[in-house]
Amino acid sequence: MKPLAERTGYTRRQWHYFWLGLLFASPWIIGFLVFTVYPFFSSLYFSLTAYDLFNPPQWVGLDNYKQIMSDERFYKSINNTLFMAFISVPISLASSLVIALMLNFKVKGINFYRTIFYLPAVIPVVASALLWTWMLNPDFGLINMFLRAVGLPDPAWLMDPRYTKPSLILMGLWGSGAGALIFLAALQGVPQQYYEAAQVDGANGWHRFWRITIPALSPIILFQLIMGLIGAFQIFTESYILAGGKSVSGSIGGPDQSLLFYAVNLYQEAFMNLKMGYASALAWILFIIVMAITLVLLKTSRRWVYYGGE
Amino acid sequence: MQKKPWLWGLVLVLMISVASGCSGNGTQKGSDQTEGSQGGDGAKGAVELSFWYGWTGPEAAALEKIIAKWNAANPDIKVKGLSQSDYQKQLTAITGGNPPDIASNFGQDVVPWGERGAMMPLDDYIKKDGVDLSDYIAAALSSSQANGKTYALPIAMHTTMLFYNKDLLKEAGLDGPPQTISQLKEYITKLSVKENGGRLQRLGLWPGVDAFTFTNAFGGSYYDANAKQVTPDNAGVKSAINLAKGIWDQFGSEELDRFASGLGQYMSAQNPFFTGRYAMTIDGEWLPTFIKQFAPNLNYGIAPIPYDDANPNLKNPGNVTTSVFYIPKGVKNPDASWNFLKWLMEPAQMGEFTAALGNLPTRTSLISDPIYKDVPGFQEFLTYSQSPNLHSFPATSFANEYMTEFSDQYNAILRGKIGIDEGLKKVKDKIQPLVK
Repeated sequence: MKPLAERTGYTRRQWHYFWLGLLFASPWIIGFLVFTVYPFFSSLYFSLTAYDLFNPPQWVGLDNYKQIMSDERFYKSINNTLFMAFISVPISLASSLVIALMLNFKVKGINFYRTIFYLPAVIPVVASALLWTWMLNPDFGLINMFLRAVGLPDPAWLMDPRYTKPSLILMGLWGSGAGALIFLAALQGVPQQYYEAAQVDGANGWHRFWRITIPALSPIILFQLIMGLIGAFQIFTESYILAGGKSVSGSIGGPDQSLLFYAVNLYQEAFMNLKMGYASALAWILFIIVMAITLVLLKTSRRWVYYGGE
Repeated sequence: MQKKPWLWGLVLVLMISVASGCSGNGTQKGSDQTEGSQGGDGAKGAVELSFWYGWTGPEAAALEKIIAKWNAANPDIKVKGLSQSDYQKQLTAITGGNPPDIASNFGQDVVPWGERGAMMPLDDYIKKDGVDLSDYIAAALSSSQANGKTYALPIAMHTTMLFYNKDLLKEAGLDGPPQTISQLKEYITKLSVKENGGRLQRLGLWPGVDAFTFTNAFGGSYYDANAKQVTPDNAGVKSAINLAKGIWDQFGSEELDRFASGLGQYMSAQNPFFTGRYAMTIDGEWLPTFIKQFAPNLNYGIAPIPYDDANPNLKNPGNVTTSVFYIPKGVKNPDASWNFLKWLMEPAQMGEFTAALGNLPTRTSLISDPIYKDVPGFQEFLTYSQSPNLHSFPATSFANEYMTEFSDQYNAILRGKIGIDEGLKKVKDKIQPLVK
């Protein structure tokens, strides 16, 4: 047998570095295999079984998936989650863009404003959710005090099923600073000469925004859109806190299940009802949905995303 | 493409090394542990038991005091307590094969966990040591038992009674608490106050809380163990829902939601019963302790849950929930675990613990114990806990799913999203297939 180097066309030295590189990367590779690849495939296996944690899993084929298709809570949780994904994500994307545009102005003390807007992003979700339960209190909360002052209706935010999800969106807006920071970085990378050239050609501010800024930011918009959607599909903590955690009755979905999100339902099936197989199947359906949406976005993005290098 | 086989080979090698690495670690840890306990053996063969309980703060301190008492008297079995209120950790520990030696839990989890094999049945021990189960309050004990097996013993129980604000009742010209359901309805109408703008200011009784308690007032039940049928469509259950629905519709979802979202935190001076926004409330034996702490000037009374006019034999109804201790599956030294558990459940320890927490004891022999004489409001509850019309939600392996599904539909019924018969049929259709 010929030596390795000759068979593969790589020199001995190259192989040496290859192994060395792998050796250095091995902690990550091992972690990836143990904590990502293995759980990934075992959850696929568990999704085809009835598994209660204590007894060995029983093979049931596609039963879990069939059962999910007729599960009312599944549809309710999907509806709530889609609402958050398709209403909340665009709104918070737009708001972080607006914040980024404002933070891009060269005014005195801009660093202070940047800090202020970013601050909510470093506060733990649990803390900010608790804070917002106070802000949204219909009687003495800040929001309704303001609404009453200007003569607008003051809803019962966290108890009225029609308003619980808008409450969460409002909370999300408060945390738009994180997204704004990414937009801000991208904004500052837009070459100034484009704006100058456009100005020479007589384009007004509005034109410059739509024709230069937005196309230049489009890769970032795509990125934030996908990350936002993935995040929205996994929303859990806010609902868990705002809906008061696990109530005495065992229901954790908020008033009229208006905050029963996909991850909340999954948690309940897995850890309260001890249906790990069923919950694994739910997780796989979530995976497929998120995957599909991401693929569609990536496919259609060719039409509206401009990469500077192309 | 040519490089691929190599990559796969590499992956395989890595996987094998990972697998062997893991098992290597495992054995090492195992031998460490034996060594550790052998080291402990030096202190005259003492067994060390780990004891996980869900209480925190002052309640945990009360339990630690009892543990210290055990350790002082039993040098051969040393118990180490750990406050662990995340019950999911118990699941992980049991499935991981490294469970605590004794643990606490809620009664409603006992049969679901026990029948799946996470808790050790205690019947052999109970028989061997002659533990007198008849001393336990039936409703409390039943939450730990199913199909002839006892999976845990209840250390404390909770039940509810009617609390009423004496000043507000007097103001409305009402003399004493309501006795019957029809009086209750009357009281609610008289005690609820709307301000000029039509907004609800005070509510006689919050309608949406507890169908389980009133089900017992109407003689309903949720499960027929003999026929193996879930019975959410039972006449008693329906009457309980109709009662709540009647109060609900008197005010409407929108008004009630608004009212509810303005209410203060339960465990604070802003508790709606303390601030007079509820004229009456159905709450547990711990409430008087809270009142003493948060609203010492509240002029209140404790009364039995009103009974159905047509069923005076169902006086003093109530729903019981429990806190339990159990021995997880896979413990190394079940005999030692049982010895400690048995001791913990003896009247002396149970009395000390429940009195410190302001929880009701589950043993009849403790009812007249002087240890409770300083706990506020306790005499009423201790007497009430003897009522034969107290029941706990039927202990079955699907109890959690049943309660969730029932609560969901109960809510939808109150909000008028679904008819009562249709909603309860849905519960039955979903839960009945889970009956084995």
